[in-house]
Amino acid sequence: MKESLLDILRCPLDKHELELENATYADTDGDTDAAEVVSGELVCTDCGEHYPIDDGIPNLLPPDMREESPA
Amino acid sequence: MDLKDQRGVETDVYQPAEDSELLAESACDHLGKRTRDRPDTTVLEVGTGSGYVASRVADETNARVIASDLNPHAVGQARREGVEAVRADLVSPFADGAFDAVLFNPPYLPTDPDNEWDDWMEYALSGGEDGRAVIDPFLASVGRVLDPDGVVYLLVSSLTGVDEVVEHAGEAGFSAVAIADESFPFETLTVLTLLQ
Repeated sequence: MKESLLDILRCPLDKHELELENATYADTDGDTDAAEVVSGELVCTDCGEHYPIDDGIPNLLPPDMREESPA
Repeated sequence: MDLKDQRGVETDVYQPAEDSELLAESACDHLGKRTRDRPDTTVLEVGTGSGYVASRVADETNARVIASDLNPHAVGQARREGVEAVRADLVSPFADGAFDAVLFNPPYLPTDPDNEWDDWMEYALSGGEDGRAVIDPFLASVGRVLDPDGVVYLLVSSLTGVDEVVEHAGEAGFSAVAIADESFPFETLTVLTLLQ
């Protein structure tokens, strides 16, 4: 995910802003505007819930839906 | 024969079909005109599946396009298409008023609960008994993330009932206008625009 996506992402539970923690970035030759977050966590600034970023995709399912997966 | 057999062997991600094409075509056309003079338009596609519609909109308009899906296989495929992808339940993790447009080709097939199956394709196709099990919660929540001047592009099938969807959209504070439709042997597909 691009770091600029943080501007429009919110905690699905309480709609508060999220902070990026433990981020690792793809190599973008020092072009910070293109900064691509490959892994890390998004943490709610209010309730403290953690949402993982895996393979560049943030998983913002509410915690009770995260494990719910058929097959 | 159940729905899965009718649709072929794919069980992980819904692949582009006539409904995807109609939504992509009509939304690109309509949105292209709306956004021509607005350089910083942001668009969300909910339930992106393969990412086909989202990448068409990204290619054919000057909008930034975000794609979301409940299905991890779908967001993976959408990202490989070059679309910014987020795993999400409808619009729940997005900021108030963040989008100038929201697109949705929802799961809409009315499905007898006894005939429901259990894989990602069920989530992609089944709209529950009345076909609106996902459409109704979408209509109730999408207004929050939409800019006051924003527009929703919603694909609806005659199998679900366009009049019923328009009525429910009205109850959620939207006025609906059909911008495209196309007939097939077993259903007519309609693209509705919803304005607040």
